[in-house]
Amino acid sequence: MHFPLRLALRHLMARKTRNGLTIVAISIAAFLLCFLIAIVQGLEASVQSASTTRLVTQSAVSLFVDLPTSYQHKIDAVEGVHLTTKFRWFGAYYQARKNFFAQFAVDQDRFLDMYTSDIEIVEGPGGVTGPEARIAVQKAFESDRRAAIIGTGLRDNERFGFQIGDQVPLIPMIYPRTDGSAWEFVIVGCYRPLKARIPDTTMYFRADYLNEAIVSGEAFGDHGAGVYYVNTEEGVPVEQIAEEIDELFVNGPQRTQTITEAAFASFFVSAIGNLPLFLGTIGGAVLFSIFFSVVNTMMITGRQRLQEAGILQALGFRPLVSTNLLVFEGLVISLIGGGGGILIAYLSEGVLAQLLGQSIQNYQITPDLVLMAIGTSSVLGIVAGLAAGLPFLRSNPTEALRSSG
Amino acid sequence: MTRQFITLDQVSKSYTRGGEKLQVLDQLDLTIPEGDFVALMGPSGSGKTTILNLVGGLDSCDSGTVSVAGAEVSAMSRRELPAWRSRHVGFVFQSYNLLPVLTAHENVMLPLQLTPLSAAERRKQADFALSVVDLSDRASHRPSQLSGGQEQRVAIARAIASDPDVIIADEPTGDLDRQSADDVLEILSRLNAELGKTILMVTHDLIAAKKARRILELDKGLLVEDPQQEA
Repeated sequence: MHFPLRLALRHLMARKTRNGLTIVAISIAAFLLCFLIAIVQGLEASVQSASTTRLVTQSAVSLFVDLPTSYQHKIDAVEGVHLTTKFRWFGAYYQARKNFFAQFAVDQDRFLDMYTSDIEIVEGPGGVTGPEARIAVQKAFESDRRAAIIGTGLRDNERFGFQIGDQVPLIPMIYPRTDGSAWEFVIVGCYRPLKARIPDTTMYFRADYLNEAIVSGEAFGDHGAGVYYVNTEEGVPVEQIAEEIDELFVNGPQRTQTITEAAFASFFVSAIGNLPLFLGTIGGAVLFSIFFSVVNTMMITGRQRLQEAGILQALGFRPLVSTNLLVFEGLVISLIGGGGGILIAYLSEGVLAQLLGQSIQNYQITPDLVLMAIGTSSVLGIVAGLAAGLPFLRSNPTEALRSSG
Repeated sequence: MTRQFITLDQVSKSYTRGGEKLQVLDQLDLTIPEGDFVALMGPSGSGKTTILNLVGGLDSCDSGTVSVAGAEVSAMSRRELPAWRSRHVGFVFQSYNLLPVLTAHENVMLPLQLTPLSAAERRKQADFALSVVDLSDRASHRPSQLSGGQEQRVAIARAIASDPDVIIADEPTGDLDRQSADDVLEILSRLNAELGKTILMVTHDLIAAKKARRILELDKGLLVEDPQQEA
């Protein structure tokens, strides 16, 4: 098969505006594909990386109802329970509302022991790194009620840029201080998430700092624990432990609902609606409209090439050559457009990961995603080229030569 | 005596237009010897272009046989015809039919891609073809940068680039002014006289037709040889 490559390349360069706009449309489609699937994958990763041996005990009424602190020793006593920690949403912001990030009040020692395989303390007080960092952080937690650890995202983000030793004032939205001042925290450590579901933009601090302030009247709010995270012993059936915990509090004062961490993560994902379906529907609609507009553009090009197909046949080229020219053109345009979209997705990955970090962890443009975008772009180009070029196979050269081109 | 190079034997061809069958050629016999230069004349719809298309293998006849250079074109399949055309036939069209995105040189190179020549040989052959039509200095120009006469000369260069046996010209001077038409006809005459190319040309222009060695007139599918033909 003789393929006139120079002619194909000249065609690509001949209609710069049309081809350029088509490339832009495909770039947008490829970027959207990467963006939407990365969000869905991020959501799924947070669910999949959740522990199935860790339980979450929450109020049976609502997630937003705090459980009493008195529940903790009862849960600790359940056979098969290894460790528990309070986990209480704090809900404050730094300087301005737009600088919101997640903070949780936890039992610091228990939390660090429970999350050994979930987070790694990468920096402690005085710049200590390595295995010593964890010990240094534990000591710092003991010595200062205001001590807190932050994720690397809060350290590295220019908007926050918190460093070890910094005193960070946070303006409360749930637990205002009675004197109207901000809550003050001291950063004693920085962690790096080891699991996809753990964001790197969260702060963990001592639960007793919050509760003692409430009890002493320094802050408004109710004394409580939020929810309890419960680590179970190896090999113990977690469903049975969950039932036993809930049975303990069936008569109140707060009934509980204990579920696995994985189910809890799924609940959070589903709480914002069926996001994968929602994103898939919107993304699919956009992709299809761009797909059809590209096919339509290629078909217009095909109609304009009918005379050329006749000329090529008169010169001795087979009809398939004209079809292949359009498929080649469609493929090159789609791949350039797809590559542009992937490049945009890559370049914007960091910014979007930061923007989405609070709600969707692990936003990543993975190699699989890139391959999928390239594959989709290729298929789009080939289908568009075939749709435009297949009629040439049935065309009569004399009629093609008579067409106006 | 030269051999019969193009032969149409009992060729019939009809088209269906608007549900009506239109008989364009009815059991037509035609022979053209090798090296001849024949002008086909006749009113519109008399079947002139149909004969060119049948000889060039662009169209197929309903019955009869069409042979060119010993090959029975009418028996060839759609897959065989393109390769045969590339080796044996060069086309010159009224509207030039150059590819606008290619330069003159690239247009001439295009059919050479179907030959076994190397890239260097193809370039050399295209250079030669452009020199034959005296357009070497316009090689890098696009068709839009050429006059009508120059475009047609490039089309002739493209037609002869792969050294075909037959040149089929469908009203090659139809869109040209007198001077450009004379230039084109001069080139066709030289190709016939000096390179021995067999040329079959359709024209409405009697001046152009007189440049041919023989004039054939078609009327309602009947072939009438011009009594004033030149030997």
